[in-house]
Amino acid sequence: MIVTPYQIIAPLIALVAIMYAWNLVMRHRKTLWEAALWTIFWGAIAYIAIEPNSLDYITIATGIHDRENAVLVTFLGILFFIVFYLVMRLEYLEQRQTRLIRKIALKQSAQENGKDE
Amino acid sequence: MKILAVIPAYNEATRIAEVVNQAKPYVDSVIVVDDGSSDDTAAQARKAGAIVVEHVENCGPGAATMTGIQAARALGAQALITLDADGQHDPKDIPSLLSPVQAGKADIVFANRFGQRNRIPMIRRVFNGIGNFVTFAATGRWVRDSQCGFKVFGARALKDVDLRMSGFEFCTEIVRESVQHRWRIAEVPIKVIYSEYTLAKGQSFAHGVKTALKILMRSFLR
Repeated sequence: MIVTPYQIIAPLIALVAIMYAWNLVMRHRKTLWEAALWTIFWGAIAYIAIEPNSLDYITIATGIHDRENAVLVTFLGILFFIVFYLVMRLEYLEQRQTRLIRKIALKQSAQENGKDE
Repeated sequence: MKILAVIPAYNEATRIAEVVNQAKPYVDSVIVVDDGSSDDTAAQARKAGAIVVEHVENCGPGAATMTGIQAARALGAQALITLDADGQHDPKDIPSLLSPVQAGKADIVFANRFGQRNRIPMIRRVFNGIGNFVTFAATGRWVRDSQCGFKVFGARALKDVDLRMSGFEFCTEIVRESVQHRWRIAEVPIKVIYSEYTLAKGQSFAHGVKTALKILMRSFLR
């Protein structure tokens, strides 16, 4: 059996992601439930990388056999990543805007209450 | 024990004064967070004797609740009650909701609209059931009425809580916080008053789906 670089890198990344998730649990920043979901997700990625034949059923279902289709699927993956990144950025910006509005509101309220006293 | 009530409000000028007046006998102060309303919600709340914190832009009930929590912390609150501004919660239930916290038996108390005979439309029951299921899937904790805005935070929960979700997902986030910080929880049956007004203010199916997707995505990406 020939081991490809992907079969080494993907499980290593998965291992780091799983360790990171459990580290967050130890620091009380992630719940056990979330870490379990995370472990299942990255565990599946590592398993598919090591055992690509486990995806044979997808090949049967989708008919992806040749390189052209592989390229198409790869670019779909890249597009998925870009959308994921944009969603994360939007979430971050929304949270930042909320924090800003909250700070202004609390500052104004403190000033008003100070005036009343 | 200094007890404060937080009422997040968005365009509730016709109801807010009544809700504030009904809640006042049970708490030391009432904080109304006006979430960027286009009507005179803030003025009506002030007239009724509430402390008003105003968002310059509408951010959502989660963001407004967290603003109220921060304001309550600054005022030295030891327990906090959150309730809806549309009048669907009966402030007479406040003492029974507070009792597990006052007895030192719970850090957070969830109201349960389904724990006693209430006339709740079937569609609301279905949506709340889905909300409970999504909350369980995201947090691993089953709460009988996870989407109800009527809650009591004890001193520990009040100190720990940090809500990041701005919209209606915040109810699920509170359950998540209770798991993460290992708060002791209690659930108390309450009365709920559904009127044409409160039903008209309810969330649409599409909004519910969006909220569920946000909950699942954020719980996974944290």
